[in-house]
Amino acid sequence: MKFFKSLSTGQRTIALSLGFMLVLSIVRLFTNADDLTSSGTISSTLRVATPILLAGLAGVWAERVGIVNIGIEGMMIIGTWFGGYGAWKWGSWAGIGLAIIAGSLVGLLHALATVRFNVNHVVSGIAINILAAGTTEYLSIIFFKGQQGGGESQSPAGKGGYGQFDMPFLSGGRIGSWRSPDMMGWIEKKHNLPLLPDLAGFVRGLCSDIYIPTIVAIALVPITAYILWRTRFGLRVRSSGESPQAGESLGVPINRLRYQAMAISGGLAAFGGAYLSCVFTSTYRQGQTGGQGYIGLATTIFGNWTPFGVFRGAILFGFPSALKFRDEKNVPALLLVIAVILVAASIVSLLRNKHLLATGLLIGAAVSAATYFLVDAVPQEFVAATPYIVTILVLAGAQQQLRPPAHAGIAYRAGENH
Amino acid sequence: MTEYSQSNNQFAVELHGITKRFPGVIANHDIELLVRPGTIHAIVGENGAGKSTLMKTLYGMHQPDEGTITVNGNQVQFKTPTDAIAAGIGMVHQHFMLADNLTITENIILGDEPVDGRGRINFKEARARIEMLMTSLGATFNTDTNVSELGVGQRQRVEILKVLYRGAKILILDEPTAVLVPQEVDELFTTLKRLVADGATVIFISHKLDEVLAYCDEITVIRQGTTVAHTTPSQVNRRSLAELMVGSDLPDPSGRETKIGTDVRLQVTGLNLAGEIVGAKLALEDINVAVHSGEIVGIAGVEGNGQFELCESILGLRTILSGSISVCGQELSHTETRDRINMGLSYIPFDRHREGLLLDAPLWENTFLGREGNQSLSRGPFISRTKIEADCRSIIDRFGVLTPSEQVPAFALSGGNQQKLVVGREMVSDPKVLLAAHPTRGVDVGAQAAIWGELRHARDNGLGVLLISADLEELIGLSDRILVMFDGRMTAHLDPATATPEMLGTYMTGEEQGAAQ
Repeated sequence: MKFFKSLSTGQRTIALSLGFMLVLSIVRLFTNADDLTSSGTISSTLRVATPILLAGLAGVWAERVGIVNIGIEGMMIIGTWFGGYGAWKWGSWAGIGLAIIAGSLVGLLHALATVRFNVNHVVSGIAINILAAGTTEYLSIIFFKGQQGGGESQSPAGKGGYGQFDMPFLSGGRIGSWRSPDMMGWIEKKHNLPLLPDLAGFVRGLCSDIYIPTIVAIALVPITAYILWRTRFGLRVRSSGESPQAGESLGVPINRLRYQAMAISGGLAAFGGAYLSCVFTSTYRQGQTGGQGYIGLATTIFGNWTPFGVFRGAILFGFPSALKFRDEKNVPALLLVIAVILVAASIVSLLRNKHLLATGLLIGAAVSAATYFLVDAVPQEFVAATPYIVTILVLAGAQQQLRPPAHAGIAYRAGENH
Repeated sequence: MTEYSQSNNQFAVELHGITKRFPGVIANHDIELLVRPGTIHAIVGENGAGKSTLMKTLYGMHQPDEGTITVNGNQVQFKTPTDAIAAGIGMVHQHFMLADNLTITENIILGDEPVDGRGRINFKEARARIEMLMTSLGATFNTDTNVSELGVGQRQRVEILKVLYRGAKILILDEPTAVLVPQEVDELFTTLKRLVADGATVIFISHKLDEVLAYCDEITVIRQGTTVAHTTPSQVNRRSLAELMVGSDLPDPSGRETKIGTDVRLQVTGLNLAGEIVGAKLALEDINVAVHSGEIVGIAGVEGNGQFELCESILGLRTILSGSISVCGQELSHTETRDRINMGLSYIPFDRHREGLLLDAPLWENTFLGREGNQSLSRGPFISRTKIEADCRSIIDRFGVLTPSEQVPAFALSGGNQQKLVVGREMVSDPKVLLAAHPTRGVDVGAQAAIWGELRHARDNGLGVLLISADLEELIGLSDRILVMFDGRMTAHLDPATATPEMLGTYMTGEEQGAAQ
């Protein structure tokens, strides 16, 4: 426990991922569900997790500057529409660019409402969600209806794709015209070994068939951390979310910072939306976000308002969905994974003297394991609910360590707080 | 009092004819203030006299309507605090302006970060500069710890470092000792003396006369928005300074003329209360107290030794382990708090902001709190706003609460007036027993005298008072008997006629234990 606490956030992420990998490896050997850690599953997880990751980062930027952004979902919706429109008119990259611009404007709108007019942050956020849904529907009727492949609720297919990237040697990428050997792919196929094929699958999943926008999104994790904790701008953003009075008394322009950070937040959320309509698929569809903005916001909290924490949360949400997408037969194995994780969480709670929680988690583990052994197929609904159940359980265990920005969501008027 | 002798030395700060109006009030008028460089200059005045308004003017947080500000011989106009900082003025606010979840370094450099060309903070340079300042201040911190881990005294040190980091030579400290314990006050003044020796000038705002007289070089008195006197500690004593502040003669803390009654109003016998954690020691152990009619029983003790738990037990907010509590002979063990209040129990809480008032609610709602069952304030099943407002006005009049009307929210009142309102609410319904916890904490001498007067008056009319206080002078002056509480037990029983603050101090720290009761 003490050792774990002494680690930095980054090191903890690595330690936790390795632990998770070990659990998966054991379960895979036990159940022969080889797809559990295949490179395909991993790269699919990344694709599913990317919009959630971007929404989560949007949450980090907003809450760190002191504004609660329930409107992330709406900003994502705006992103899906403008992404679809841009990709249809000028190509896929233009779609993402246009979405980011539109999202930033919506972010600024939220800032205008909450900073300038002191509207309750949740009220303004919900208004933005409703506004975004309505506006995109209306715009679709004007621009997409009657076009080739378009309609009231979907855009014509976007033009062009994105470069995909394969790492040479590790996953058989090309150097010039020469195709390098696919080393990780070779190891991955040695299914009866423990851990090694899992790690290989993991590495190969991370560096084969990966879209450039995914790489950009993942790079935004360390970039966000760097800006927030190493630069003047970042320190001021964080001070605005912790104690705007302190910043203001030292001449920090709190209001301007809030507009800036909200533009970034909106842009990130819309990038997440555009990822859905330009990268994940190639058309805008109404209702495409399906609440992923809210899930992103949950990862913001679950990730303790840090970019790496958000990344962890996004993967946690993405993994079960990815498994389902690939093959539903994988899902029962997931039950066993959950059981093992719950046992681990139970031990951790026991060490923290949380006996009641530990017992609850243990019962959960028993139920989960029993279901695996007694049931042949798991209903579709359960699969969809899995990430949420896992999150609630993990949140219950981790909750006491979470520390939100002290001033997030509280009304603040510059110049009146002395 | 003294006239300034015009010397070659220019003043660090000169304010002439400063007037500042807010809608409906004149906060400052015709202020004259001259601060010599290299001194600790105290600005004293009652709560609401306009000290803080004046300092905000000097720090550029708002602009004066009339008058001039001169700093080191140059006339200046501050549009924002940034201008004041540039002129070498720094302010340590009464309510700390610190972000808990940022490190000490981050808090200090915020707004003035050493950066390279691309906006990256040079933490190495920042730390080096802070280390240097800490040496000159005599402070030692690990500058990478979060401010949330610091105590109050240390936070104040960080605030001072923040100001010094910006190169301030003139420091304004707004009631810096209000939140400090005595040892921290000593440390603060040691620090300030060091700074002054290094050439800094300190403007020190306070209404605590003892420390002003003990540590400051010069004193300016503000009363009702204007400067009324300039003096030095050698020319005044505590009493004359207090009278300058209040503007009238203070009433003498006269002895009592009435006799203590014979009937027991509050009886606590063998009270035990379990600790917060299962298995821990008792929070209250074998407490026995009796308060007669017309008697004030003082409870002395360092805060956190069970006084709060005792009050909450008597009020029925905590479930006691064993023992009995009765008011006017009626056993309370199985009654609810509401019934206890209706039986004549009244409570001036420890923290008026947390327990005493709804800060955002108007005064009339605040004086109605806890008196919802009072038939004279209702009309049938409904409350009567007219009656409540009239009742509130009578409390305002009787207890001298300074306020434009009963419609203003409670936060608009100064601390002393808020406290008077709470005291008024608790005493207006003629309770049988009053639990008064720190009834004059954080209020100025004028309001203090008024509250003391009310307590004495009610006592003479038969009220039984359990007085909990950290102000030893208050305890000795008001109480008929003093009990000392230490570690959840009553450890001494003293006669205020013979007790001295030193004696109380020894018992309160548990160094010595006398026989209780």
